[in-house]
Amino acid sequence: MKLASPPGTCAVRLQGCRRSFRTPDGGVYVALDRVDLEVRAGEFVALVGPTGCGKSTLLNLVAGLLPPDAGRVEVFGSPLEGINRRASYLFQQDVLLPWKTAEENVMLGLVFRRVPREEARRQARAWLERVGLRGFENRYPHQLSGGMRKRVALAQNLIVDPEILLMDEPFAALDVQTRQLMENDLLRIWQEERKTVLFVTHDLEEAIALSDRVVVLSAGPAARPVGEFPVDLPRPRDVTEVRLDPAFGELFRRIWDLLRGEVLRAFRLGP
Amino acid sequence: MRSGSVPEARWGLRATQAAVFVLLVAAWEVASRLRWLDPFFFSRPSSVAERVARWFASGEVYVHIYVTSLETLLAFLVGSLLGVGVGFAFALSPALSRVFDPYVKVANAMPRIVLAPIFTLWFGLGILSKVAFGVTLVFFVVFFNTYQGVREVDRNVLNNARMLGATDRDLLRHVLLPSALVWILSSLHTSVGLALVGAVVGEYLGSARGLGYLIHQAEALFDTTGVFAGLVVLAGFVLVVDLLVSSVERHLLRWKPPSHVEEAL
Ligand SMILES: Nc1ncnc2c1ncn2[C@@H]1O[C@H](COP(=O)(O)OP(=O)(O)O)[C@@H](O)[C@H]1O
Ligand SMILES: [Mg+2]
Repeated sequence: MKLASPPGTCAVRLQGCRRSFRTPDGGVYVALDRVDLEVRAGEFVALVGPTGCGKSTLLNLVAGLLPPDAGRVEVFGSPLEGINRRASYLFQQDVLLPWKTAEENVMLGLVFRRVPREEARRQARAWLERVGLRGFENRYPHQLSGGMRKRVALAQNLIVDPEILLMDEPFAALDVQTRQLMENDLLRIWQEERKTVLFVTHDLEEAIALSDRVVVLSAGPAARPVGEFPVDLPRPRDVTEVRLDPAFGELFRRIWDLLRGEVLRAFRLGP
Repeated sequence: MRSGSVPEARWGLRATQAAVFVLLVAAWEVASRLRWLDPFFFSRPSSVAERVARWFASGEVYVHIYVTSLETLLAFLVGSLLGVGVGFAFALSPALSRVFDPYVKVANAMPRIVLAPIFTLWFGLGILSKVAFGVTLVFFVVFFNTYQGVREVDRNVLNNARMLGATDRDLLRHVLLPSALVWILSSLHTSVGLALVGAVVGEYLGSARGLGYLIHQAEALFDTTGVFAGLVVLAGFVLVVDLLVSSVERHLLRWKPPSHVEEAL
């Protein structure tokens, strides 16, 4: 395994980033504007904001899938050009290849890196076991539950040993129990691997329970970070127990005061 | 699906299908023997069966089956390869597809049968003209399905593969081709069927060998029994080809969830 980058260095830095889209009626919609954000190496940052404010767009900027119209994206100090090779991206949508088994899906990143098949297969099995899917190696995606598919996608992302892990509302579609299990699994793996994580969610409780720092994005158009809240709850955490901590409730109230205003604003402005 | 009742239901169905066949053949035989049907125009099952048996016993039918199979296979392969190639080119290059769109539409709308005589002129009476004719039929089905298959690939799926480190060639091999293959396979029965139609119709219009020739020959001699015997051999041939295609399809699409309709029944 690669040595984690020295703590304290800046893994991701956005400076004055702006990104707009063409609207169907020929106009221009500015989704993000004047976005400044820093994520330190090894840090777990949660990004919250009202639906449609530009959270996925921000992740796409960091992933290098979208270029900013203005501003800079830096990854470990160098300007980002094209795809971010030091990051992996857990998408909100189901993106497993339906014609590949769980194992083949997980080993995909290694196949692209020209790792010999047998070695790739061995590592894929090990990762499937780590995300709790031992015995499901030969299932096709349609033979797995939604939660299991997310686990496969998580293993698919982690097997390439990325320094930065981008996650876009990965657990939003799961039922509460599955979700809490997966959140705990994610924390356990993060504790072992110390990846830099940028985790998008619209669920504030999830954001606090998982992260070191919660960043609140304003409502669009021209969304940008409007608040940052360090989360100094003890680690290792259990997401169900940490919610009972009085400090959790206190933090929740403080962040919610800010977030509620943005959510209401987004609701009034409409999509 | 209610398991348990499935095998019984299937056997019931097969028995009914067989019964319908026996009934029709028996009715035909009886009607012909009682002279309700003129045997000159309608022949009779026993004579047809006898003729088929003789063809196989003497071995004279094999060369025709072989030629038709070869033409079908070649038309299918060449048509599919061209269809996949051009389909990919069009899907990946919007400029190309915009320029050639009207030509493709016109070419596809044209009744292909008018080309058969021209192909005979160009490629002669041998298998080449039949293959060329079959290719014009197969090409468009495969082409449209490939084009659709590549265009329908989910953007997130592509981005996911890119983030995992896929090069353009990896994307082609692991994402775009398999995705197009799903569409191509969904039309496999149609395209193989069209290859066969191309072969038989081509033979029918002018050739010296093949099942289409066999039928045409009998027709020219007012040999109704020969025509029906040819049709029986052709039907058997189609059935075998269809079974082969089904098993290939089942193997290649084994990852697919059963369709919702099947599940609901
Ligand atoms: N490819 C695109 N084309 C046009 N508009 C887009 C595109 N992607 C996002 N948008 C718009 O940008 C805004 C932010 O979208 P998104 O980043 O998906 O929001 P979130 O992830 O916070 O829900 C939305 O108003 C959306 O309609
Ligand atoms: Mg989103």
